[in-house]
Amino acid sequence: MSIIEVNNLQKEFMIAKRETGLVGALKSLVKREFVKKEAVKDISFSIEKGEMVGYIGPNGAGKSTTIKMLTGILVPSAGQVTVNGIVPYENRQENAKSIGVVFGQRTQLWWDLPTIESFELLKAIYRVTDQRYKENMSIFQEILGLDEFINTPVRQLSLGQRMRADIAASLLHDPPILFLDEPTIGLDVVAKEKMRTFIQEINKEKEVTVILTTHDMEDIEKLCQRMVLIDHGQKVYDGDILAVKERFGKMRTLVVDLEDANSSFHIKGGELCKQEGNRYWLRFNRNEVSASDLITQISQTHNIKDLTVEEPDIESIISRIYQEGFIEKQTVKG
Amino acid sequence: MNMLEYEIVLKIKIIYGVQGMSSWSMYWTFTKKAFLRSSVYRFEVWSRTGSNIIFLLMWGSIWTALYAGRDEAGGVTFTAMLTYIVVSQFLDGVNEAGTPLWEIQEKVRTGDISLELMRPFDVPLRYLFADFGSVAFYMITALLPLYLVIFYFLDLALPTNWLTWVYFIISACIGFLIRYCVEMTFGLLTFFLVETGGIEDIFYFAMSLLSGSVIPLWFFPSWLETIAVYLPFQAIFFMPISIFIGETTGGEVFTSLGLQLFWLFVCYLVLRMVWNRASHKVVVQGG
Repeated sequence: MSIIEVNNLQKEFMIAKRETGLVGALKSLVKREFVKKEAVKDISFSIEKGEMVGYIGPNGAGKSTTIKMLTGILVPSAGQVTVNGIVPYENRQENAKSIGVVFGQRTQLWWDLPTIESFELLKAIYRVTDQRYKENMSIFQEILGLDEFINTPVRQLSLGQRMRADIAASLLHDPPILFLDEPTIGLDVVAKEKMRTFIQEINKEKEVTVILTTHDMEDIEKLCQRMVLIDHGQKVYDGDILAVKERFGKMRTLVVDLEDANSSFHIKGGELCKQEGNRYWLRFNRNEVSASDLITQISQTHNIKDLTVEEPDIESIISRIYQEGFIEKQTVKG
Repeated sequence: MNMLEYEIVLKIKIIYGVQGMSSWSMYWTFTKKAFLRSSVYRFEVWSRTGSNIIFLLMWGSIWTALYAGRDEAGGVTFTAMLTYIVVSQFLDGVNEAGTPLWEIQEKVRTGDISLELMRPFDVPLRYLFADFGSVAFYMITALLPLYLVIFYFLDLALPTNWLTWVYFIISACIGFLIRYCVEMTFGLLTFFLVETGGIEDIFYFAMSLLSGSVIPLWFFPSWLETIAVYLPFQAIFFMPISIFIGETTGGEVFTSLGLQLFWLFVCYLVLRMVWNRASHKVVVQGG
């Protein structure tokens, strides 16, 4: 059995409708009307042990609602969830022992105390043995460099340090599953890179299954082989990241700097999408025309000073999927 | 025990917050960490002590003025009344060192408390044990030294029998637990309300007046006394202080302690009910 199984998961909320105006306000004092909101409509997926999956979607797509159901703090309206063989909402405290959770926007550490105190508290909460605690702490100190700030109160840590401490805290009890919600939000490039390396490392060495929700596409590209893309509470795509890139990434952009900046030029197979001074952006379909074809065509009439070919990043691909919908999802799936 | 029975027992444990022996060391860790955390906020200790002294002086002079040089009013001597106020301020200090109502409300509002649902511990108990740590710190560093000095220098009616001290300490502890249950319950009501100002008003009104913390119940008009007697708040201040100053003596002490235990039981059940409702609401409606 897969370590995480989600079948036809649904979650709807009843939201109190706010009436406008004085009459409405009085009316809602007596009787409140509710509107049904389907946060998760019908989502199924399964995740194998040791996988790293990017769980992505725009704001309000139902990402955190799904994660909350996986952590057991939300009961599904319909459908089944099992996490490590446990139904999370039926046995929340048991489920808690097999998951680690990091919320980039919040901390699970005690704000006012030196970082080490929070670790000791978590050691007691999860009943981590002394032996295990020592081992894990030495690993974290080695990779995350915790010792630089282990005696500093959490409120005085930099964001990067805090995130490092937070992720270490979530792994102290060796959970087989790790949920990461925006683990690199607000970090600088170096700190992001450190974070990613660590996630990769623990995934490899401890076979921790990782589910990552993020808006940073670089996280996904660097960490995950697979992504589950959801929108409006439904799964839009589930599969290889490369396949998405293949499907939506066939469009390339050729950027050329010309010596003579004036002529409007028509190049077969290339669509002029932007022009700034003597720099031109030409979009083309990689399968229909090659970059060298285009270059040859241009160089016949113009002098090229400089050129680059831009590959689309996953972010722009995803924004296109959101806009256009994943029409051919069946064929690409898998 | 078959599977079904096991599950039923587990459910009951969760509903009533029953813990196995091995859990206590975990909750004890919360006490230790909260003790440490309090030591970070030394300024808060000073300011709280300062306001405690100011209120003590205020109520002390108000009652001195009310007695207007008389030795006795309503069968209570001036010394006993002064002692009442001093002990009341001491208990007030103890109770205020716990997690205050607004902080619980804040934790509910920000969702911090819901996030704790994904941890393997019981949330109301975790806060109670953390409060033990904060209270212990405040007691040791501020309250006990301060009140030892006050007891030494003021002419107060201290219990002469050591048993009275014991009964008072037991009674004060039960009072503390009742206050915790009530305050937590009021705080958790934030889950069900958009606006919580009313809840705060009711709580602070009850805590200052109906508990007898500033005016002993025997000075209440009889209708108000009747109301107060049928509510748990008097078990927080009035009952322990009455034991201390010797207003409650002999067999009455045990009746009083029994009543306190009864109120603790009721308030704990109410707290569990509200907590279960609240956590149910979180897991069904997302808080």
